[in-house]
Amino acid sequence: MEKLNIGHGSGGRLTSEIIFQILQPFRKENVSPYLEDCAIVDGNIAITIDGYTISPRSFPGGNIGELAICGSVNDLAMRGAKPNFIAMGLIAEEGLAKDELLSYMESAAKVCSELSIQLVTGDTKVLPKGQVDGLYITTCAIGTPPSNRDPLGMHLITPGDVLIVTTEIGQHEATIAALRYGLSVPSLQSDCAPLWPLVEQIIEMDGIKCMRDCTRGGLGTVLCEWAESTSLGIEIEESKIPISNEVSSLCDILGFDPLYLACEGCAIIAVAPETSEKVLSVLKAHKLGEKAQIIGKVTEEHKGYVGMNTKAGGRRLIDMPVGEMLPRIC
Amino acid sequence: MCLAVPHKIIKMLDKNRAIASAGPVEVEIRTDIVPDLAIGDMVLVHAGFAIEKLVGTEGEEICTLWEELREVMENENVFPSN
Amino acid sequence: MSSPQTEEKMVLKLSQALNALLSKEGNKSITIMEVCGTHTVSIFRHGIKSLLHQSFKLISGPGCPVCVTDQSEIDAAISIAEREDSIVTTYGDMLKVPGSWSSLQECRAGGKSVKVITSVAQALDIARENQDKKVVFLGVGFETTAPATAAALIEAKKEKLDNFLVFCMHKTVPPALEALASSEEVSLDGFLLPGHVSVIIGLEPYRFIPEKYGKACAIAGFEPFEIMAGLLEITKQIIKKEPTVKSMYPRAVRPEGNLTAQNLLNQVFEPCNAHWRGLGEIPLSGYRLKPEFEVHDASVRLEIKEYASSPPPGCRCGDVLKGLISPIECPLFGNPCNPMHPVGPCMVSSEGSCAAQYKYDRRR
Repeated sequence: MEKLNIGHGSGGRLTSEIIFQILQPFRKENVSPYLEDCAIVDGNIAITIDGYTISPRSFPGGNIGELAICGSVNDLAMRGAKPNFIAMGLIAEEGLAKDELLSYMESAAKVCSELSIQLVTGDTKVLPKGQVDGLYITTCAIGTPPSNRDPLGMHLITPGDVLIVTTEIGQHEATIAALRYGLSVPSLQSDCAPLWPLVEQIIEMDGIKCMRDCTRGGLGTVLCEWAESTSLGIEIEESKIPISNEVSSLCDILGFDPLYLACEGCAIIAVAPETSEKVLSVLKAHKLGEKAQIIGKVTEEHKGYVGMNTKAGGRRLIDMPVGEMLPRIC
Repeated sequence: MCLAVPHKIIKMLDKNRAIASAGPVEVEIRTDIVPDLAIGDMVLVHAGFAIEKLVGTEGEEICTLWEELREVMENENVFPSN
Repeated sequence: MSSPQTEEKMVLKLSQALNALLSKEGNKSITIMEVCGTHTVSIFRHGIKSLLHQSFKLISGPGCPVCVTDQSEIDAAISIAEREDSIVTTYGDMLKVPGSWSSLQECRAGGKSVKVITSVAQALDIARENQDKKVVFLGVGFETTAPATAAALIEAKKEKLDNFLVFCMHKTVPPALEALASSEEVSLDGFLLPGHVSVIIGLEPYRFIPEKYGKACAIAGFEPFEIMAGLLEITKQIIKKEPTVKSMYPRAVRPEGNLTAQNLLNQVFEPCNAHWRGLGEIPLSGYRLKPEFEVHDASVRLEIKEYASSPPPGCRCGDVLKGLISPIECPLFGNPCNPMHPVGPCMVSSEGSCAAQYKYDRRR
């Protein structure tokens, strides 16, 4: 009997496979061929849902409460939708400290108030000890898509489009990995942040085609999904990808590839070439986009694949990661 | 087959343990295999153990190779100039 | 330290120099084996092959400890994980390797205690905290990794930490190189030798390669420019017909190796015959625990039986490890064998040559 393993939830190839299988029974209901993080329904409602579980629940740069709001808000923002409402479900383990739970709610509320988002409904369950690992949060975010344009999405991507990454990659997962594997990196923190304030700056501009936040599976996975779903090629330059010393040192030590590390406040944007420089300069003017870079472009070459020119001057393929990323010594 | 990364010793904890840093990353390592380390030494770390002290400067050997090659390659045109 | 820009330029120049050397020789066909799996990954990850003339062939050798671990040993490791009284501690590399009926990852999904560690010191801590369990460390790896296992065993013995056990699968590199250098099937001009194994063993154990078999050798580090310099050195030796063992990594490699580490290895281990996947049994190419350390020997304490297991049908990992075929020449490559559903270990290990080829270069 085939069982689920951690890899099925790690983003990347196994996750794509299980999602495909989960959707099978729904086929008749006509699931969109492009899997986006948020749906636009009835023309003017953007909706998304996401579950949050993280160990440890608090980490440098954020906590599970903040993450639960940012993550869902970002899924809306990636299709250009302004977040308005949140519904939240809590599943907590018997014995969780009440103060701890409330501190996460404080953090979540702070993000909501900064973005004028209203918490409109919710649910709280407490399960016997051992049945849950501390606390799981599910949030559903509802928002308004841009009224004067098509919702953003992969279907708009065309050859020649320029790819912009909004900030240094891998910060979130590197922070968690450092905690998990006993490495101390005082200057490293998660990039956990709501991206709507950044998106708001560019959403009215011409030429914005598609955006994705590089969560599970990281930048590499998003690029592979784009290439495979659109049947276009993608070409990136390793030297242009923004990455901090902290993340690259940590990757060297644990044998990770930073392209596959999850981010929580970093997006990749496909933009028409004629407006790309302008979009980049607007992004750079905002504090969430100071380190934005053009990293590559969409091409008609090697359809369905992502190619990278390496720093060493060579070329290689970027593939989706498979399963959980494990530290290696070999 | 063996991932090892240069680290700098920043604190000696006891005979067999030290804190070392690789760029901004700090980690506790074992020093059983490389005796007589001192703060400031550069070591290669593999699987949580220092496996050797690094000496000299990076690329030294390559400069030598370069010089040797110059002798081998008489055709200066095909040899990339500095 | 040189800056990244200088290093990039260096890679380019070194590759130009190598190509120039080759072209001067009428693009003579040269085949070099990179022995070490970390070299394999680095070569693919930085796209190094794309910089070299096609007459220069680089083939991947048996230097991935996961890949050369025999199926029977993987099955034994899984059988340990399936016991109720054990906690298996392992480097992440081993987790996904498929055994005959399961994998460590599947054991963990089924609720068995399998912990991923990044240092054997953590396994000692787990043993101290779980005195009621047998904490079994899976000792995989070559000379680079074995000294840490040795140090842990010495510490456990001193502390009488009798619930700390090692399932020893450590192997040594020179005997495998001898098997390859002497093989009539495999035709190699030289070896790119593993930098970090050499840190421990030094240069001497490789001398037989040029002296007895006339093959060129260079030890190299793992940055692209270091690898390129190693390849250039080997090419130079081949063209000048002066095979030797040259270290291009003197910053880390002493000619005599790390004597403290060698001493630890000698205290704890003794050589034994070992099965290598693909290469078969190679005399005195493995380490087993000396009798003094029997109390920590998982194969003795847990009475591990020999699993007579054969590699999966059709799998040509063995030929890949010997450099007889490139991964894409295996009929299983890509379909059905790919990183999602690995058939053989070369596809599952992230440094396996099949996985590296699939991940970085399958469109070639």
